Amino acid sequence: MRGTFSIQVQLLALLYLFLYAPIAYVIYVSFQKDSVWPFPPDFTLEHYADLLHLRDFHAALVNSLTIGIGTGLLSALLATIAAIGVLRYASRWRGLVAAAYLAPLFIAHLLIGIASLMFNKQLLGLPGNIGSAILANTTYATAFAFLVVLAQLAKHDWRLDEAAMVFGAPPLRAFWSVTLPLIWPSVLGAVIVSFLLAFNNLEVTFYQVGARPTLPTLAWGELRHGVSEELYALASLINAAIFLFLGALYVLLRTGALRLDYRD
Amino acid sequence: MDVRTRRLLFLAAPGLAFLFVFLFLPLVSVVVYSFWRTASYEMIAEWNVDNYVTLLTEGTYLTFLWRSLVMATVVTAVSVVYAWPVAYLIAKHGGRYKLILVLLTAAPFLTGEILRITALQQILGPIGVINMGLTSFGIAPVEALMYSSTATGIGLSYLWMPFMVLAVYLSLLNFDFELMEVAKVNGARPLRAFIEIAWPLNRAGTAIGCVLVFIPTLGSSVTSQFLGGPNGALYGNILAHQFGATGTWALGSAMGVVLFGLSALLIALVVRVVGDFRRSGLTMSGR
Repeated sequence: MRGTFSIQVQLLALLYLFLYAPIAYVIYVSFQKDSVWPFPPDFTLEHYADLLHLRDFHAALVNSLTIGIGTGLLSALLATIAAIGVLRYASRWRGLVAAAYLAPLFIAHLLIGIASLMFNKQLLGLPGNIGSAILANTTYATAFAFLVVLAQLAKHDWRLDEAAMVFGAPPLRAFWSVTLPLIWPSVLGAVIVSFLLAFNNLEVTFYQVGARPTLPTLAWGELRHGVSEELYALASLINAAIFLFLGALYVLLRTGALRLDYRD
Repeated sequence: MDVRTRRLLFLAAPGLAFLFVFLFLPLVSVVVYSFWRTASYEMIAEWNVDNYVTLLTEGTYLTFLWRSLVMATVVTAVSVVYAWPVAYLIAKHGGRYKLILVLLTAAPFLTGEILRITALQQILGPIGVINMGLTSFGIAPVEALMYSSTATGIGLSYLWMPFMVLAVYLSLLNFDFELMEVAKVNGARPLRAFIEIAWPLNRAGTAIGCVLVFIPTLGSSVTSQFLGGPNGALYGNILAHQFGATGTWALGSAMGVVLFGLSALLIALVVRVVGDFRRSGLTMSGR
């Protein structure tokens, strides 16, 4: 039995290596003069300097942030109220409602992308823009946000809300002053997850934004023209930002500065 | 309609309306357009089934579809085999580090497809670190890693394996590991205990993981575009092509319908075979 255990540990270690080594390597290469065979190391910051001159880089960053924030807020809002409904009201319809919210997880992104493209252009006569990118990304992001909120709120004690209402608080007031202060970390989690998914999305966004650059479409274009060094700088910056952010979040949770489970 | 149902629907209505307008209707429009035709980049509402005839009779489309099906099957199978022991380890022995261990497998997912492919190309490609390393030591480069289906397969596993780990892990959270001990006390060997207890009790969660890996892999295009090389195109590449250079949206729509149909078929099959998803950990009914 010890044997099986150590094999499992090795498999897990190998999985982490498989998942993180490429990311770590890109960050390493982004600081190297020679990106093809960067050994022995020869550090430089010039790829980051080049990145600043990369055409469309700033516009892409702004567009990606806009899509990310718009999707993050909209998805979290839709997902949170639905998750509260599903958890709180034991109607026989709740399985069906949950299934509808989770259905987008089972649709390929490419299909969501082209379907939105054709629907907007043919039926609504709208050319793609950042707004339609937010709407298209919100479809699948809501599913992820719903999962996040559902998992976090499964243990929420709804009697607190009932109590507020028994003492005369109107439902909206009860939500605002009792429910939300308790569940906001879960809502924030949903915002973060859907923000990141939309911020980094290529296959859905690509078909909505037309010629407007986003960071993923910019990276896609760069990748098509062969290996380019500023792309590594770009990838490293985004990866570093995400992991620093997730790391900070984890530290805050561990130290208790931020709490996910209010009953701890 | 009782009061609970009314309240539930009231809270769920905004999202359901949103999904209806921005997901369901667009998907229906794909079905409609698949029966139209395109001429010089314009969609023309002349109802016909020519797009489907083209897909079925011109061998190339079926070839690419078959390739994608094989790719998705292999990637899913590899993911199951790999994710199971890992998820089992985390769920059983993770203790207070369970959550962080499993989230570490999921975190790279949040960095997005294109950045992860950029990173992989730097490792696997013809001038990737593996082959450059081998060449610099005077060893022949590994052809299989350079612009090949193997490279695409590695890339797709890299992208979607976290889903499988998460799905199996969630299922195992609701699994009573004592049962395995009971089996062993009664003389079952580990493999037998796994086949007769752990696997059947977690097959719903595993099935969800399979669907979550299979569907995006079947519809993938970006991974094979950058890792698969000139001969590594998959169905998704040909589909995306209809919306790019060639502008044949109607044919592309028919390809999309086929893709969606296959996904729906798979889900129907899984629901049929598994039947009861209460143990998957994805529903709220638990154990």
